[in-house]
Amino acid sequence: MTKRMVLAVLALCGVLLAAYLALHDIGIIGTLACGSGSCEQVQSSKWAVFLGIRVAIWGVAYYAVLFTVAMAAAHERFSDDHRLSVALVALTGWGVMYSAWLIYLELFRIHAICRWCMGSASIVALLFIIAVFDYRAQARTVISD
Amino acid sequence: MAKKRANGGQKPNPVKSTKSSSATRGFYILIVVIAIVGIAGLSYLAAKPQGAASQWDSSLPSLNAMGHVEGSDSAQLEVIEFADFECPICGQFATLTEPDIRTHLIDSGVVRIRYMDFPLSMHRNTWNAHRAAWCAGDQGKFWPMHDGIYRYQDSWNSEATSNPDKVLAGIAQGIGLDMAQYTSCVDTKKYQAQLQANELEANRRHVDATPTFVFGTKVVANYLTYDQFKAEVMQAIARQKDAAKK
Repeated sequence: MTKRMVLAVLALCGVLLAAYLALHDIGIIGTLACGSGSCEQVQSSKWAVFLGIRVAIWGVAYYAVLFTVAMAAAHERFSDDHRLSVALVALTGWGVMYSAWLIYLELFRIHAICRWCMGSASIVALLFIIAVFDYRAQARTVISD
Repeated sequence: MAKKRANGGQKPNPVKSTKSSSATRGFYILIVVIAIVGIAGLSYLAAKPQGAASQWDSSLPSLNAMGHVEGSDSAQLEVIEFADFECPICGQFATLTEPDIRTHLIDSGVVRIRYMDFPLSMHRNTWNAHRAAWCAGDQGKFWPMHDGIYRYQDSWNSEATSNPDKVLAGIAQGIGLDMAQYTSCVDTKKYQAQLQANELEANRRHVDATPTFVFGTKVVANYLTYDQFKAEVMQAIARQKDAAKK
């Protein structure tokens, strides 16, 4: 399996995890109550909304875009396309920065850690590392060509 | 300039090509399997009944002398609500669901609500709000204060301020309390013992989340819409009638 295929698989896992959080956020899954877990506290805080849209919904959209780009990049036709490597590094880099901001909020503002959010942050960090390796491998191929 | 292939334009190795196409097939199968398992898992979780429902321990003494009650003494059912003023979900219930409950179920004598304080340790300003509500109750205005505290929750909660008493005093003034009496009550923590008794009662009954509702013998720890609340009320009344027949 190529690095880009691994990226696509991880991005799909991210889509599902973010979908779980979004469904939980709107009360379709789990309990909507305070004290039943740290995710409830995080999701009911004022930082759970970004630009008027729930952060969990942003998460689904983000991973869906990442999954689409990674699927395209994993296709044989685009295996030599350096631009897709740049796009993957940029997307996952943004994800790492945003996750870092959310972890800061959880630790120092909300005082609660949601383990599902930490799971998402771990996936994003792994995606970024693999995307960087893919970018470097692509860069080497272009130079050697 | 056309980009050269990595193998320098040589014919593709048939063994390598077969391996590659097999890996690609495996990749697509893996994607489909993850998607199916994930969607099935989410659908299963969405279909499961929400909220932790359990049975109320009727062997423990009743809460008749505790909390604050809204509604008629002759109402068909008393619903007990364990709530925390800083809990956003309790706030959602108080601002979105409770007005309809008042209009359709309390004013018509179907139910009365007993509000039991359950300040959660995760909310740093909640005790101030509970004390403020009790001090408003001292002047017969617990429920208007209750509504104001929830309505302006974003202004006094621990995410908004480290000095909630100032904002809460503004709410108290807004509902027309005697401020000298209110301030003295809040400053001396006049009702701290009653509040702590409510909290201990919740712990004794294994309440661990807010809002938690008790409909007769059924305990529901979850946010409820008006329709869900009304359905629980009607079922509890039916259970009471069945029990009375036996």
